[in-house]
Amino acid sequence: MADEVEDLSCRKASSLLSLACERPLDATELRALKMHLDECLMCTNFEQQLKFLHRCSEAFREG
Amino acid sequence: MLSFRAMPRAPTADSRFTEIEGHRPYLVRYALSQLRDPVLAEEAVQEALLAALEGIGKFDGRSTLRTWLTSILRFKVIDIQRRQVADRARVDIDEERLADEHEAWLDEMFDETGHWKSPPQAWNDPEAALEQRRFWMVFEMCLEGLPAAASRVFFKREVLGEDTPVICSEEKITSSNCWVILHRARIALRMCLERNWFGHEASHGR
Repeated sequence: MADEVEDLSCRKASSLLSLACERPLDATELRALKMHLDECLMCTNFEQQLKFLHRCSEAFREG
Repeated sequence: MLSFRAMPRAPTADSRFTEIEGHRPYLVRYALSQLRDPVLAEEAVQEALLAALEGIGKFDGRSTLRTWLTSILRFKVIDIQRRQVADRARVDIDEERLADEHEAWLDEMFDETGHWKSPPQAWNDPEAALEQRRFWMVFEMCLEGLPAAASRVFFKREVLGEDTPVICSEEKITSSNCWVILHRARIALRMCLERNWFGHEASHGR
């Protein structure tokens, strides 16, 4: 199983994280992303920052 | 900024005015997201602010002041949109160039092995920033720093919470180009916030 999963770069992982804000990821994408995030603190930080940008934008609307 | 020195004034009217004026940058951004044209956006905001000052008595405090102001602005925007229907066929996002530029832009963000050139740091207590006035000035500055199309699409998607297909059709772009624009906007915003607010250098400067 595991060897079928594409080994993601941060470039690809960050792009999937952003894409996940627009549409649900499929099983392959999710598996590859999870494997990457388990080992990559930088992309985990990026994931948190995307969530924050979302909350922050909502708060911006409320004023 | 505004100066009130040596001017006799009714304090309540002035403080209302200052409070309403404080929402201007947000309102301009809203108008720009809907109208594209900075002159028309400014015109809509100006009309909305005047209407708000006249009608402040109708503000019942059930929503936030910003939400109330935005609802007034929305009507002004719709008025202007009606006047410029013919003009809206104009497309200002060049789709082919966008795809090329996107890869080139990502080349600047990531090295040849696909690692971050400027790695995202862990942000310390980001929620606390939402309570600080200066943070919102930085946030507005970062939005302002995005290319016009990116700023508009991000505002519609994240601030107004519009669905991506709606945005794509309004902007007359494909969904993949919409995602590209949003992805770049998010990376650019996170870098800007890290540099100017959350980063170690930025927090030492505060």
